Amino acid sequence: MPEVVKPIPSTWCPGCGDFGVMAALKNSLKALSVPTEETVIVGGIGCSGGIHNFLDGYGFHSLHGRLLPTALGAKLANPKLTVIAVGGDGDGYAIGMGHFIHSLKKNVDITYIVMNNETYGLTKGQPSPTAKVGFHGNLEGPFDAVLTALSVSSAGYIARGFSGAPREAAQYITEAIRYNKERRGFAFVEILSPCVTYNDTYQLWRQQVESVEKIEGYDKSDRAKAFSTVLQVKERGKIPVGQIFRVADDKGAPALDKTLLPMVERSPASADISLEHNLPKYQKLLASLG
Amino acid sequence: MATTPATSTAPVQSPVPTERVGPPSRPTAPLRDISIMIGGQGGDGTLTVSDLLGRYFHARGLYIYTARAVLSRIRGGHADASTRAHVEPVWAQKPVQDVLVAFDDDAVKVGLKELDPHGFVLADQGSVKTEGANIYHLPLSITAASKVGNGLYKNTVAYGALSALLGFDVAAARGVIEKRFGRRGGDALNFNLKAFDLGRELVKEAGLPAPLFTVAAGSAKDHILISGNQACALGFVVGGGRFFSGYPITPATSIMENLDKMLPQFDGIVRQVEDELGAINMAIGAAYVGARAMTATSGPGLSLMTEAMGHAGEAEVPLVIVDCQRVGPSTGEPTRHEQSDLLFVVFASHGEFPRFVLAPGYASDVFEITVQAVNLAEKWQIPVFIMLDNDESENTQTTPGFDLSKVHIDRGKLLRQEELDKMPAYKRYEFTSDGISPRSVPGMKGGVSQTTGNEHDEWGHVSVNPENRRKMMAKRMNRLELAKQDLPAPHLWGDEKARIGFIGFGSTYGAIREAQRDLKEKGVPTRFFQARTLWPVPKEALATFLEGLDVAFVVEHNYTGQFARLIRQEMPEAASKLRSLVRYDGLAFRSPDLVHPVEEFRARSG
Ligand SMILES: Cc1ncc(C[n+]2csc(CCOP(=O)(O)OP(=O)(O)O)c2C)c(N)n1
Ligand code: SF4
Ligand SMILES: [Mg+2]
Repeated sequence: MPEVVKPIPSTWCPGCGDFGVMAALKNSLKALSVPTEETVIVGGIGCSGGIHNFLDGYGFHSLHGRLLPTALGAKLANPKLTVIAVGGDGDGYAIGMGHFIHSLKKNVDITYIVMNNETYGLTKGQPSPTAKVGFHGNLEGPFDAVLTALSVSSAGYIARGFSGAPREAAQYITEAIRYNKERRGFAFVEILSPCVTYNDTYQLWRQQVESVEKIEGYDKSDRAKAFSTVLQVKERGKIPVGQIFRVADDKGAPALDKTLLPMVERSPASADISLEHNLPKYQKLLASLG
Repeated sequence: MATTPATSTAPVQSPVPTERVGPPSRPTAPLRDISIMIGGQGGDGTLTVSDLLGRYFHARGLYIYTARAVLSRIRGGHADASTRAHVEPVWAQKPVQDVLVAFDDDAVKVGLKELDPHGFVLADQGSVKTEGANIYHLPLSITAASKVGNGLYKNTVAYGALSALLGFDVAAARGVIEKRFGRRGGDALNFNLKAFDLGRELVKEAGLPAPLFTVAAGSAKDHILISGNQACALGFVVGGGRFFSGYPITPATSIMENLDKMLPQFDGIVRQVEDELGAINMAIGAAYVGARAMTATSGPGLSLMTEAMGHAGEAEVPLVIVDCQRVGPSTGEPTRHEQSDLLFVVFASHGEFPRFVLAPGYASDVFEITVQAVNLAEKWQIPVFIMLDNDESENTQTTPGFDLSKVHIDRGKLLRQEELDKMPAYKRYEFTSDGISPRSVPGMKGGVSQTTGNEHDEWGHVSVNPENRRKMMAKRMNRLELAKQDLPAPHLWGDEKARIGFIGFGSTYGAIREAQRDLKEKGVPTRFFQARTLWPVPKEALATFLEGLDVAFVVEHNYTGQFARLIRQEMPEAASKLRSLVRYDGLAFRSPDLVHPVEEFRARSG
């Protein structure tokens, strides 16, 4: 086996929430025994988006906000791969917002992890779409991606974790990747990941997080209930976390990659494109034109 | 920036009288070159008539060129289409029309300007009020409504009437309808056949002297009638393309639509995504994991794609991007013709990275170049652009059937697992003599790598080391020089000894070839350099071409003479021989537009 690129030590500030997310992701990939050569980590641009450099597996550093279409293209071209897109809240909810909503709609079997620190870490602390009113003079109310995801009817797996609770976060990610492996569709996991340098929310968030799954009678397969519970928890000044929604096993929109490529062995990336293999079919195609 | 167009010669109007007296005299011999224009409101089915005519003449062994000048609306607004049929090969519109089919008065107004003195107008009685010696009113829509049950069949009634007025072979003319509507099932076929027969009867009932004139048969065999976009889609598939993502935009959409029908048969995928940012980045993702991938768009979408072009360049992801040019800037004229994206495509995106810009000139060339583009992208691991233009994309033309046996698939340094297994180390961006690094794709054991739009070292680790930067820049940029022999060579047409030359790319091929033919008849030999690679500029070939010339007219559809500027920039020594000949009014050059400036030049230089 050739010697290959080694993960580099992370470049994050000591104490950055992203460490917890990375630990969680590493544990999940290990727990599911995903082979490194089948792991594709697509990073966005931001402190968070550099994560692929620090992990084993094929890494792709995409453009700011464009990690989702890139990751979907990779998965649709080769559905055998385990594709994980990882980026920041600015990347996903500002510049990449259109792709976020459309990825929920397309429902391709990838896991999308957003490290939400309510700020633009890499560009030194400007308010992001999730920033609270007043943060660095922010005048606009924050945006809640979990509520948005819930409102997209094909979204089947939605979780929110906290990097201060990496064991739970790992569990949500593991479940998400497993959901992809079962070819059920797109899995969205937001992880609250404090930026200790520009928006240190560790203490605050530790007090605020509240697991919806611990609320009596919570049914994570009930979309309307999930929506109203998230709102109620927020009204109490808390942050809802947990596996917030998971569509029932017998329900849910079909995964796009499964519909297009029912057999994972036959895909755009693995197709035999030699002329010899295809000639009779090409000739038929040619004859059908004009 | 020039404030006047880059030419001394404004587009030349075709020499056609607009008013004439007395009854027209009809040609007695069968026409060897006929053009029929159909005009009406958008939604009138002008395209259906032109399509049926094209198919009929094609079946009669003629060479076809169909053009459309539809406004960007589905219904309402003037729309027209024309079908040209010629005993000899044609690649452009005829400067004049022989027949005009008019569904409203606007069509008469637009069309009469182009009508040959011997021509006639078939007008829809009731919708067209204009009278004239050569205007024949027949109740096309009334008959369609009352006897077929739907006024929309007026287009097939018109086709039937034309078949009588032009002495078509009835069986062949009906056969075309059977072929076009037979597949659809339902009543479409029967209604259309009925409409056709009714059209023929109308001519008889009106007592018109049919046929007014006839059309010669031709001997074009084994040709297919195809648009540039169809040829591009087919070339992509045959070139091994298996992933396409796009967003609808005129005139690029039909590439996606054609691929949508083709690719699933080959384990391929076509996705219409949320915008052009998504389209290009999705294609990059697919290319990254080893699928041959392409996206296609036009000006506005291309503008949105620019950031990702540079990403593919820096990350060394093979990607084909098709630009079906239309009139810009901004929304411009979505359905009109222009070639004004050239300099943008050559320089688009921030920073510097290598790219190839290719431009085919006619349908079979589009096929060949698309196959080549897909190979080149993967072999050189860079983005490759194919520039088409509105008329080339949308208009159909007869072309020799594509030679599939010439196709070869070159995957370059894409590694096979056995090769990878033997390597001591795998570095995605390894320095090599030709700048191309062996490439693994996700899924391959032992090929784990980092692919990135950041400047990186050989391993793909982010790097700002100045020496590394110099080496990486050289690694990428050197390909422009090293790949030269690999890029599509120009085609040279005409007389080797001529002293007057044309330089052009894309669909100006047609008008230039026809101008060459017309000039030759006047005893003026010319040479034509059909550039098929625009970037890097084919300097050596151009220098050789210019050697024996007094002048070279650079023919292009834009205001500033972009290709001429590019050539001047790259070869200042050639500047004195170049003369820009531009047209930027949304319409394509026709032969007289090019013949006149040549004649003027000759008159002036004595
Ligand atoms: C098109 C574009 N615009 C702006 C930037 C500059 N930029 C880099 S990262 C970033 C924001 C990062 O914030 P976020 O996505 O939340 O990631 P974080 O650093 O907080 O993890 C911006 C605006 C860029 N790289 N590309
Ligand atoms: S700036 Fe903030 S988000 Fe970025 S690494 Fe430092 S702590 Fe983490
Ligand atoms: Mg952030």
